[in-house]
Amino acid sequence: MKRRNRPGQMGPMVVDRRRFLQLLGAGGAAAFLGACGGSEETTTTASAGTSGTAGTTTTAAPQAVGLDFWLPGGSDPFCGAFRTVGDNFAASGSGITIEEVLCGVGEDEDFTERILASLAAGSPPDAVIIWSPPVVLASRGAWAPLDDLMASSTYSQLENWPEGVLSSCRWDGKIYGLPATASSYGIFYNEELLESKGISSARDDFPKTWDDLKAMSAEFVEWDGDTLVSAGFIPPYDAIESAIWSATNGGILYDADAKRFRLDSDQNIEMLDYGLRWLNEQYKGDWVALTASGNFTGGGYVDDNGRPPAFHAGDHAALVNGFWFASDVYGVEFDGWERWNVAQFPVGPSGTSTASGFWPNWCAIPSGSANPEAAFAWLDYLVVEGMREWFSQVPDIPTNRQAPDDLFPQAIADQRGDEFASDITRFFTGQLEVAAPMWTCPVQDFMHDRISEAIDAVMLKTATPREALTAAQEASQAELDDLLAG
Amino acid sequence: MNRLRRSGARSLGRREALAGFLFVAPWLVALAVFHLYPIGAATYLSFTEYDVLNPPEWAGVDNYVDMWNDDAVWLAARNSLFYALLSVPIGLAVSLMLALLLNRPVRGVGIHRTLFYMPAVVPPVAGTIVFLLLMEPRSGLLNTAIESVGLDGPAWFHDPRWAKWGLIVLSLWGVGAATLIFLAGLQEIPQSLLEAASIDGASSWQRFLRVTLPLLTPVILFNLVIGIIYSFQVFDAAMIVGGPTGEPNGSTLMYMVLIYRSAFRYFNMGYASAQAMVLFLVILAVTAAIFGTTRRWVHEGI
Repeated sequence: MKRRNRPGQMGPMVVDRRRFLQLLGAGGAAAFLGACGGSEETTTTASAGTSGTAGTTTTAAPQAVGLDFWLPGGSDPFCGAFRTVGDNFAASGSGITIEEVLCGVGEDEDFTERILASLAAGSPPDAVIIWSPPVVLASRGAWAPLDDLMASSTYSQLENWPEGVLSSCRWDGKIYGLPATASSYGIFYNEELLESKGISSARDDFPKTWDDLKAMSAEFVEWDGDTLVSAGFIPPYDAIESAIWSATNGGILYDADAKRFRLDSDQNIEMLDYGLRWLNEQYKGDWVALTASGNFTGGGYVDDNGRPPAFHAGDHAALVNGFWFASDVYGVEFDGWERWNVAQFPVGPSGTSTASGFWPNWCAIPSGSANPEAAFAWLDYLVVEGMREWFSQVPDIPTNRQAPDDLFPQAIADQRGDEFASDITRFFTGQLEVAAPMWTCPVQDFMHDRISEAIDAVMLKTATPREALTAAQEASQAELDDLLAG
Repeated sequence: MNRLRRSGARSLGRREALAGFLFVAPWLVALAVFHLYPIGAATYLSFTEYDVLNPPEWAGVDNYVDMWNDDAVWLAARNSLFYALLSVPIGLAVSLMLALLLNRPVRGVGIHRTLFYMPAVVPPVAGTIVFLLLMEPRSGLLNTAIESVGLDGPAWFHDPRWAKWGLIVLSLWGVGAATLIFLAGLQEIPQSLLEAASIDGASSWQRFLRVTLPLLTPVILFNLVIGIIYSFQVFDAAMIVGGPTGEPNGSTLMYMVLIYRSAFRYFNMGYASAQAMVLFLVILAVTAAIFGTTRRWVHEGI
């Protein structure tokens, strides 16, 4: 006779359906809670000896340190380059391996959000590359100060970095990042188009003042009814590049020492006013018609509307972009021409000298990194020894003075020869020497958004330059003061 | 004896209840962890200064006062209201029209239904990019069609006067889900009622107006409420088209973009939480107001 258990009274080895489901539910809940819990274990062991500057306690374990290294993203070859450099670093006898290279976080997540989450959870990566300036999160305590590590490093002592570029990593007197690369800005122009109008295409002959550039631009502007067919140079419209135009007019956007914005200075108001007059004189004062006519403001890339750049079509004489564009320019086919060159920014009415800007890839070590010293050793290696591999995939200008100085983008060399590629690289490297202060503001994105709104309002004529910049100044200063007070 | 039986029944009832709770436990845990806790945390954080990296500091109602004085909040609220007031009724009308078409017994109706629903499963980013191409001012398909009838197409996302309208047109890309719900509602309407109306001499328009539409009102209510909630939460399209400043000239700055930039671009989590709480309360109030009117226009049952 088969034995039956009463409800709730089960034999030691008998599991009925309800019991099974209860156990399954309990097991599932346990697994769920277990999965939610953090792990105290890490796969890495800290380097021997001293305590880290990131505020962690290290334990003596001299061998085989493994690091997690995150970067915002890039192509597969670019991401792979870091794995190659990591392998080389491990093979160099450092005793440090790069165990994980997280290269981008996909479309559904923002890289900064991921870092913030990891910092808040107390499990940040050991080192990161970031595309937004270190001061932004350093002012909120996200990054470890690097001064001591730099002083005792192989390559990263203070004197090995251009001061202007390194200042983008400085907050309250301490360094919170390494500007591994910093591509500078210049004006790209169509040599053949200039020559077709009898204008010298030599770099040294390129307009030296805003007035000269505006005059040159007028030679190429052509409308067909309300459609802009051809453009010379579009007056400044980009918030990031406004730091450069401001500098060429003797101005500044943000005074890092005084922690004060200077957005509504006379030079900056003059800058926007000049752009507005330019728009009125050459582009019918109609920003909507200008942007709707074609891709004149996409920086030489295919724009959001899928339109190829007018520059490549030979309908746009000159535009502003960074060194990266010297290679990217070949990502779109040229329509019947091939000779382009680069020139320095012209000087504004109130300015005295040219200026440039830069956009670095910064390296940083999160506060709470498990292996700050090993992480810094890796970054120190990367910014010099790793540069050749890095540059082979994405040609950004290495910033450290010990880095190789014989690099040039192969994409340019393939099209125009080694000599031209070297010349272009030298030009942009030189532009770093005249770079305006940039990326030094802890509320950088807030400021850029306000400047962007100001430019938009002026170009669409809903505010005067003074009104727009005054609003941007007041909002940005209030945001900064709020941060500093907190 | 009775007492023993009652005691046994109570014990059995408790065990049954326990088993029931265990079955719903995963859902309850998820509700608590992923909904109730965030709502509670956001409520608390809205009264603090918080940047994720440092502990929140109590700020009282400062964030709400700041919101009142922030022009960007009012701009985003106006934009979102404009978008909701237009995109929801237009979306309802279009989805109902499509559902009526898909409810007709034509060849390949299954394929048509699938085709109309497919956009709803396309990632919003991809859909927006496709619309940016379609709405290119000079050679985009939409303006080419407009120009073919002798009109000038607008500059859409390049013109602050037209950019919000562009987003409303773009919102129609996702009407497939509402269409399917309307379709299900249409198929619930008894044919006998429509036939009776026909026998009484009702025209097709009268049958639609007097029979179909009243019986669809519960479905309209559902789609209306969901549509309003979604319209206030439009983010992907607005962010791709106008970025964090709502270009051109703030015309596409939607409320969700404002929350996003406050939180993850400016790291003002407390302020963003306050903005989110206000949105929550507004949606709650609007939904409650709609439900308050249902006695007058929603016909339950047949």
